[in-house]
Amino acid sequence: MKRKLIAAIGVAGMVFSVAACGGDGGDGDKAGADGYAGETLTVWVMDGSSPDQWQKDLAAEFEKKTKAKVEFEVQQWNGIQQKLTTALSEENPPDVFEIGNTQTPAYAKTGGLADLADLKSEIGAEWTESLNASSIYDGKQYAAPWYFANRVVLYNKKVWADAGLKDTPKTRDEFYDALKTIGEKTDAEPIYLPGQNWYHFVGLVIGEGAELVKKDGDTYVSNLDDPKVAAAMETYKKFQSLSKAPKDKDEATPQQGEVFAKGDVGAFIGMGWEAGIAIKANPGIEKEIGYFTIPGATADKPEGVFLGGSNLAVAAGSQKQELAKEFLKLALSDTFEGRLAKLNGVIPNKESLQSNLKGNAPAEAAAPAAAVGGTTPLIPEWAAVENAPNPIKTYMTAVLNGKSPAEAAKQVEGEFNKRLAQQQ
Amino acid sequence: MKRSLYSRIWPNATAVVLFIGFVFPVYWMFATALKPTGDIISEDPVWFPTDVTFEHFETATGVDHFWTYVTNSLTVTVLAVVFSLVIALAGSFALARMRFRGRRGFVVGFMLAQMAPWEVMIIAMYMIVRDASMLNSLVPLTLFYMMMILPFTILTLRGFVAAVPKELEESAMVDGCTRAQAFRRVILPLLAPGLMSTSLFGFITAWNEFALVLVLNKDAEAQTLPLWLSGFQTQFGNDWGATMAASSLFAVPILILFVYLQRKAVSGLTAGAVKG
Amino acid sequence: MTVQTERPPSGPADVRKADDGGPGRPTPRAASRAGALAPYLLLLPACAATVLLLGWPLLKDVLLSFQNLNMAQLIQHVTEWNGVDNYREVLTGEDFWRVTLRSILFTAANVVLIMVLGTLVGLLLARLGKRMRFTLLLGLVLAWAMPVVAATTVYQWLFAQRFGVVNWVLDKLGWHSMADYSWTSSQMSTFFVVTLLIVWMSIPFVAINLYAATTTIPNELYEAAALDGAGGWRSFTTVTLPFLRPFLYATTFLEIIWVFKAFVQVFTFNGGGPDRLTEILPVYAYVEGVGNQHYGMGAAIAVLTILILLGLTAYYLRIVLKQENEEEAGL
Repeated sequence: MKRKLIAAIGVAGMVFSVAACGGDGGDGDKAGADGYAGETLTVWVMDGSSPDQWQKDLAAEFEKKTKAKVEFEVQQWNGIQQKLTTALSEENPPDVFEIGNTQTPAYAKTGGLADLADLKSEIGAEWTESLNASSIYDGKQYAAPWYFANRVVLYNKKVWADAGLKDTPKTRDEFYDALKTIGEKTDAEPIYLPGQNWYHFVGLVIGEGAELVKKDGDTYVSNLDDPKVAAAMETYKKFQSLSKAPKDKDEATPQQGEVFAKGDVGAFIGMGWEAGIAIKANPGIEKEIGYFTIPGATADKPEGVFLGGSNLAVAAGSQKQELAKEFLKLALSDTFEGRLAKLNGVIPNKESLQSNLKGNAPAEAAAPAAAVGGTTPLIPEWAAVENAPNPIKTYMTAVLNGKSPAEAAKQVEGEFNKRLAQQQ
Repeated sequence: MKRSLYSRIWPNATAVVLFIGFVFPVYWMFATALKPTGDIISEDPVWFPTDVTFEHFETATGVDHFWTYVTNSLTVTVLAVVFSLVIALAGSFALARMRFRGRRGFVVGFMLAQMAPWEVMIIAMYMIVRDASMLNSLVPLTLFYMMMILPFTILTLRGFVAAVPKELEESAMVDGCTRAQAFRRVILPLLAPGLMSTSLFGFITAWNEFALVLVLNKDAEAQTLPLWLSGFQTQFGNDWGATMAASSLFAVPILILFVYLQRKAVSGLTAGAVKG
Repeated sequence: MTVQTERPPSGPADVRKADDGGPGRPTPRAASRAGALAPYLLLLPACAATVLLLGWPLLKDVLLSFQNLNMAQLIQHVTEWNGVDNYREVLTGEDFWRVTLRSILFTAANVVLIMVLGTLVGLLLARLGKRMRFTLLLGLVLAWAMPVVAATTVYQWLFAQRFGVVNWVLDKLGWHSMADYSWTSSQMSTFFVVTLLIVWMSIPFVAINLYAATTTIPNELYEAAALDGAGGWRSFTTVTLPFLRPFLYATTFLEIIWVFKAFVQVFTFNGGGPDRLTEILPVYAYVEGVGNQHYGMGAAIAVLTILILLGLTAYYLRIVLKQENEEEAGL
């Protein structure tokens, strides 16, 4: 009874907000919105992906607009799929959650994500088509594109100055030489590159013009035995040899930003917003952080990158569908989407908001590479590959520990193919 | 009995080496937790924390909800242990003192129950709890933890009960006690060490459990210390000072309990274990 | 067993005797029925808990093992029966058998080490002077009491590639190649650390209890053996060992169960890696089921795991059955 009433008011609220949608969505005096008073929306965001201040402002604005509260719960990437799957099956799933673009198709297929067709038609007309691709499964809109980014080199200006380096490198060889110089002339670790930063590896593979998987009839199978993939891995290995980082850990355990924050690391390869993690751990590091595009084999073309990104989705089992959509409308509004782009230096979901990236150092470093970037195949089968132990990570560690790329490819092929063929 | 110098020295020498081997990991945990970070990540280990700091303990306890975890862990563990002791006491008395059809079956049944590999059944347990709408609650945790320690408790207590001379009970009954009174006045006091030693095991098992609570309780309000410790480790991966401080805090209650109870526990446990 | 006919029957044993006493004596029938029920009533809570809290999940697990249960089915609460497909897939694959063999070898190696070393330490305790014994006992108790999650974390730190104290010591002792060694990088080194951890944690239980048990051996037995001319070794094999046999059986049984189920140590230390080479059965079931979100498959592996554990301990369970038989006869 009560729920019905609330739903009715919710629908009314939606109608009104649709009517009022011409504006920027900033003014909160919409009639009927009182129906959400006392409700709390649970939103899962990934560790480090949106700044605290952004969340606070958004929550305040949302409360002003709908009278409902938002509770952000920060999640770790490690083990997120297992947690998300069970959560989506529960009575009280998170109402809204961030989901990686490579994992979205798999969850869309499970039926755990609410259909957002109406949201798309309301606010999504201008969404950049390529960024929206991962949210569409079987012709339906299952998520909303939130932010996108590709990796850059984050470096410690002081360490580079101590090593006598003046310019940032333009080619892969220059980059390697610069790091070597740091190793020789300073006490700092030239680069922090753990053995399993597989997103960077995917970038290198894309840079070589190869793919991790190939089609074999109807199914996808491993393409790790491609010599081009081996070449990408050799590049990775060459740079990794300059790092003391563990060969069997990824960039999030521990957060490489926190390692960098200690000030004795020359550089690391990461998302622009990872600077925020470093600054949070050590505010003093802020003025030392610089950014540049990951240099490619030649100066005219930057290194290939993985176009990572996150979408926002609504749980199909959420009791607060309308409120959740209200939240998406606000979070993805030009104000907040633009502000996130500005704060984190990430690519927003609309071309028109790109202007927010002007003067943003990490974003400007990322931009040249975005054009030569790519993703993993946007197929439901992919998510299984990312479950621990991810065979690509196993492959990388094996090569770094001395196996030849061909041997390592052979070693993980069975596991890789099994996951790509896993029954859904 | 005279022994040669050699045969007097080697047991002691071995004992010293063993002592160091067993204590060192525990010592190193506390030592690391108390050292400033610079001394932890140094090329040559700093063997003694000369420059004691509590900053790592502050980091470890500064995590959101820390005290909630402590309260939850204590609640769940203590309740699980108490419930299982009460239930087991009744059962073990029957198994040790009474003769009835199917007694053997019960004993073997509890032995089988003791073998249950809980970690592999987690998804089944999760689905049961989920479908009963009991997620994010301490109740299912308490019940399952109680069950995890119940078989061991019954089987061990049974040994203790059997070790109490039957004559004592009988003479009490001759003196006019009912069987229940005899149990309360004579057997229970003699069982005290047994109860303590079994409760230690229960305590340590329930205190440690994390695979189940990880799946059942996503809400921080209903989580326990092992999650804090393991999550801490993923998050602070190479911050060994903080991680060791967290480990120390986690281990201290058990260490104290063990050292305090060990003498009573050990003497009784033999009786229990020998009986199997 | 003496039965005082003057007092009312107070237990089933007495009741039966009373009943057997023939029709000559008046038997309070109601009381006797209650008496006969007493053991069952006392066991009722324990049995109810076991059925509800262990039997039900177990049954559920068996049911799940006959289902195709993946992300979609779990999220949408759909039940899709698929017969014995999960079992067929598990049993026909190589992985399962490899993991099973590994599990058994792992369990055997650990249990042998624990029992042999634990017994030696226990016998050593018996030989020590008072002060030294107390010291060693204290060390053992500290190791015993370390919660497994904390202990595993501490071992990760001891064996850390950078700044780990073990690598430093090995380097100083002359193995310079170990200075930067990653203990998680290979199957053998991972098993080495995990085994060390498990043995370290488990020896105290065996040693302390064995020591306590030896203190209960009547001295006369040794004296008699000495009179027969038995030396140290002979008196050990003819007096100590037979006396401790039931204890050793029981402890071995417990250790087999505990080591076989050593999920936390293996999973936390290296996640079953590198390349899934250190997965033992419980870890394998977890990775395939929960990790890979192939829940039906995980349930099937879980059922098989339980069966294998039953097989491993069957010998001991048979002994117990026999022993209980004898006891029942002598009670």
